[in-house]
Amino acid sequence: MSLTPEIVKPELHFKRFSKSQRWEHTLLLFCVLVLLLTGLPQKYRTAGWSQYLLSTPERVQMIQQIHHAAALLLTAGAIYHLGKGILQLARRQLPADIFPVWQDFKDAWQMILFLLFLSKDKPKFRKYNFEQKVTYWFIFFGVGILIVTGYILWFPEVVTRLLPGGVIPAAKLAHSSEAIVLAVFIVVWHFYHVHLERLNLSIFTGKLNEEDMQTYHALEYQRLTASQPESPESGGEG
Amino acid sequence: MVRSKPAFFASLLIGVTLALSLGLLLVIPTLADDPAQETERYCLSCHSNPNLYMTLPSGEALLLYVSGETLAGSIHSPLGIECEACHTEIKAYPHPEQPYETLREFSRAYALSCKKCHSVNFEKTQDSIHAQAAEQGHLNAPVCTDCHGAHDVHPPDMPRSKISETCGNCHAAILNEYAQSIHGKALSEENNADVPVCTDCHGVHNIQDPRTDQFRVNTPELCAGCHANAALMQKYNLRADVYDLYKLSWHGVDVSVYKARWLTIWHDSAVCTDCHGIHNIRKTDDPASSVNPNNLLATCQKCHPGVSQNWTGAWTGHYEVSLERTPFVYYTKIFYSQFTPVVLWISGFYVALQILHATIERVRRSLR
Repeated sequence: MSLTPEIVKPELHFKRFSKSQRWEHTLLLFCVLVLLLTGLPQKYRTAGWSQYLLSTPERVQMIQQIHHAAALLLTAGAIYHLGKGILQLARRQLPADIFPVWQDFKDAWQMILFLLFLSKDKPKFRKYNFEQKVTYWFIFFGVGILIVTGYILWFPEVVTRLLPGGVIPAAKLAHSSEAIVLAVFIVVWHFYHVHLERLNLSIFTGKLNEEDMQTYHALEYQRLTASQPESPESGGEG
Repeated sequence: MVRSKPAFFASLLIGVTLALSLGLLLVIPTLADDPAQETERYCLSCHSNPNLYMTLPSGEALLLYVSGETLAGSIHSPLGIECEACHTEIKAYPHPEQPYETLREFSRAYALSCKKCHSVNFEKTQDSIHAQAAEQGHLNAPVCTDCHGAHDVHPPDMPRSKISETCGNCHAAILNEYAQSIHGKALSEENNADVPVCTDCHGVHNIQDPRTDQFRVNTPELCAGCHANAALMQKYNLRADVYDLYKLSWHGVDVSVYKARWLTIWHDSAVCTDCHGIHNIRKTDDPASSVNPNNLLATCQKCHPGVSQNWTGAWTGHYEVSLERTPFVYYTKIFYSQFTPVVLWISGFYVALQILHATIERVRRSLR
């Protein structure tokens, strides 16, 4: 028994993320999870549940060491990410897709009108829609703040050789506030968009199928299919 | 029943006599409006001799002289509490043989007689560091009479400075430090009734070892007893929120965890006395104060060796966050007080809109 070629419709996949980007995301996810789980009991030291978990001074020390190890890993990831970006910029190869443009604001406004049933047109998006750009840049700066303030808290003696002492308590406040904001943002915003709205695993698989491309990234789909109709696999690297 | 008349009168007489004598027995002691000082006078007939002494087996001379004036000025004698109240084993002359080898053994033994009336305070002393020291063989550790006196017992706090002076009899160096402190000066110069004397922090009869981790973690609460009392602090133009702000600090949170969970584990996070000093606490603007801005770095370096001058700025100094004192924290706080709710509201609102839209669309499709 053989399948008739007329019935089989080949499913096209469009490359969305490079292998390096997928690994970066996995590393980020792992580090953020570990840092959050080891950070929260430290932030809420006076709470009963925290004192239950950190039942001995040795456990406090251990959780701090895990936090520091994960921080080093995240820093390595951040340096790699920035280094790659700078290298690509120097070679004039930095993909522009992720940078916010005026169109994103218009898209956001149009999206709100659409969601409120004030307009029937859902905006059409390029490779990254404004929601995804917000996600990237929010986490970009959030992690940046957390890394900088984290090292200030890790090495306060060194930091105060160069900077005024007031930055230490400020860093402590910023570190714990930013961590909470970032965690809540990821849960509310990012989890909704990749788990509930639709299950979007492209950051792990690296590709998006034709249907999703047409539905969620119509402009990108048009661009790819119009310019290179023969090879839909040639998605952008950014 | 028939009874002869004389027999009846005889029994009546006996009955009346018995009743009268019983009544007399009950009435006589309460009649004495002036405590008779009978035994005192009797004892002093010998013991008022200033040259009366005996030699103990240790070779020490036990002076047996008791001044009648001292007794009269004490709190006990005027109340009718006389020699035999404490010297219970001596009923008459000649006295029973006394079994004590040394002078110290003698006074330690006699202090036990305080227990008869002052049992609560006596029991407390049995839990004290002084009793522990005695158990370990330090027989010079004080007993009741060392602090209160023997024949010259007076109220211990008349005047209040007498308490600290009493402790200073043994703890002279500490008394000297205390006398230079803000508390000690206020006590000696103006007989201030609010400043702590030794016993206010260390306890009275059940004085504990202040070098334990339990005492250490309880230090902030000890100081807060006065320094978190708004009415009291206002009187001296001091802020009463220092304790609450300390509890929020890195040191304070750490100490609270040790207090709640690890009472028996030593910890190094600073408590009040680590920075302000213990007995030598001075005003913060006193040039000799350990927390005077000029001395603060050296104080921080006790725990944080090698830190630079900037380090002292990391301590927010028991002050609420303010633009003048702590601008970095101030702006960070302002930023996050706005940023956090804005992010939460916008992302929450947007996602809620999306969920609402998707739900309505789905219902519409199903109704079609």
